[in-house]
Amino acid sequence: MKLIKFASITKKIALAAFGLFLLLFLPVHLGINLCLLREDGGEWYRNASHFMGTNYIVKVFEIVLLASVLLHIIIAILLTIENFLARPIRYKVATKTKTPFMSRYMIWTGGVIACFLVIHFINFYFVKFDLVEGKYSADMEQVDKHFQEKAIKLQSGELSEKEQASLMAQYQAISQVSMDKMDKNRKNLVNLTKDEVKLYCGEDFKHYEPDFYNMSLELFANKTYSIIYLLVFVVLGFHLFHALGSLAQTLGLNHKKYTPIIDVVALAYAVIIPLGFAAIPLWLMFML
Amino acid sequence: MDFTLKIWRQENQKAKGRFETYKIKDISPDCSFLEMLDILNESLVNKLSHPVCFDNDCREGICGMCGLYINGRPHGPDDAVTTCQLHMRKFTDGETITIEPWRAKPFPVIRDLVVDRTALDKMIQEGGYISVTSGGVPDGNAIPIPKHKADQAMDSASCIGCGACIAACKNASAMLFVGAKVTQLALLPQGKPEAAIRVQKMVAKMDELGFGNCTNTYACEAECPKEIKRSNISRMNLEFILAKIVSEETI
Repeated sequence: MKLIKFASITKKIALAAFGLFLLLFLPVHLGINLCLLREDGGEWYRNASHFMGTNYIVKVFEIVLLASVLLHIIIAILLTIENFLARPIRYKVATKTKTPFMSRYMIWTGGVIACFLVIHFINFYFVKFDLVEGKYSADMEQVDKHFQEKAIKLQSGELSEKEQASLMAQYQAISQVSMDKMDKNRKNLVNLTKDEVKLYCGEDFKHYEPDFYNMSLELFANKTYSIIYLLVFVVLGFHLFHALGSLAQTLGLNHKKYTPIIDVVALAYAVIIPLGFAAIPLWLMFML
Repeated sequence: MDFTLKIWRQENQKAKGRFETYKIKDISPDCSFLEMLDILNESLVNKLSHPVCFDNDCREGICGMCGLYINGRPHGPDDAVTTCQLHMRKFTDGETITIEPWRAKPFPVIRDLVVDRTALDKMIQEGGYISVTSGGVPDGNAIPIPKHKADQAMDSASCIGCGACIAACKNASAMLFVGAKVTQLALLPQGKPEAAIRVQKMVAKMDELGFGNCTNTYACEAECPKEIKRSNISRMNLEFILAKIVSEETI
């Protein structure tokens, strides 16, 4: 039975191509995550997330990436169903053929990763679209500028009574802001809830951003989350064991000279990338 | 050697099959697997019951007719052999041996352990050949072929069409079978003119017949009695990509 009306090899190549895009994105994500470990109060990390959140080229790739994730998952599920239907009567004795262990469980390891992705999106990605409330940060300069504008309006008598009261409240709040709401360099207000954003920056302040730095540290402070995170990256490693080598096979890149090199690179990739991600909670748990 | 055999019995394509258990005694370790089944069948015929049907022909590992799924492996617990070349010394005395037919949607059971492998022929009919007009015998070395390519093509051509790759594949995919034929003919100058159309037609037929999709698990390579390599699948993928993107010929 065919659930997708394309040739089997076309489907296989599509799955590989979307997978390739995800493979390219992982090191980028890892690079940003590793900024968490720099003891600079989140300056690098914040700059990186600001760039990823605002750059237009990145925004285009964000859509491509999301589409890749979705299509990679959808095609994989449909192919698995098709493949299951290709053998309506199963064998009584389970296969004893020796095959690369991880290649047989791609749909399961993939499923675990997809579940984690949902958690990950709820924790971080959806905050960007205001679907979930997180923690926010705001540039002090922007807040000041906003405040000055309001102050000028106050002097020329353009503000209503309500706005005047809120400006006074903001003035009072900001003059007593506690140290943990500021980053190390005193450039940003950080770790704010939605209400605090309104309080410290004014009701109509728009230039706040999600504070992924403090959100991550807060999540990693939770031992249960850290352990789940580590387990997921072990599973991701398993998934990646069958990624690059399989990709080369699918795209027809099989060569006496290069295939052994690709196999080594694939193995290195499958070990280094998950290890890099896992290093972050491990470092935070044991080194700090 | 004594064995307990659990064999799939099914009267015809429509009938519901079941496993039946048989005891067999005093089998020589040098007996081949099919000879062991012959001995079983003789005893069944003597008891006036129906013998177990299984496919076989040359019994020297070159025709591709035999093929049984023995204890979870096509062609049983030995590498690079067909069922007829499997010997009972590969089993332990008193072992229970489960024998099943090839399982795949395009391989319906005809009776007991015999499956209909016409699907393989149908795929070959789509392009597993070269079109030549007959005439005089061409000179031996009229078309130069590099030794390296001739060797590779020969390796691919060694497929005997037993279907073990499909039986072994967790997805019942026929990619190694089709890949071997596509590769063999794509490597040789004689096969080149029809290469782009061949790969498209054979893949389309393979999909139409209901074989599964390849997920690069390489069980096919592990179980092929002729040790055909997965690089054949890779080359077919490349041939397919080139045929779809570069070639103007479509089916």
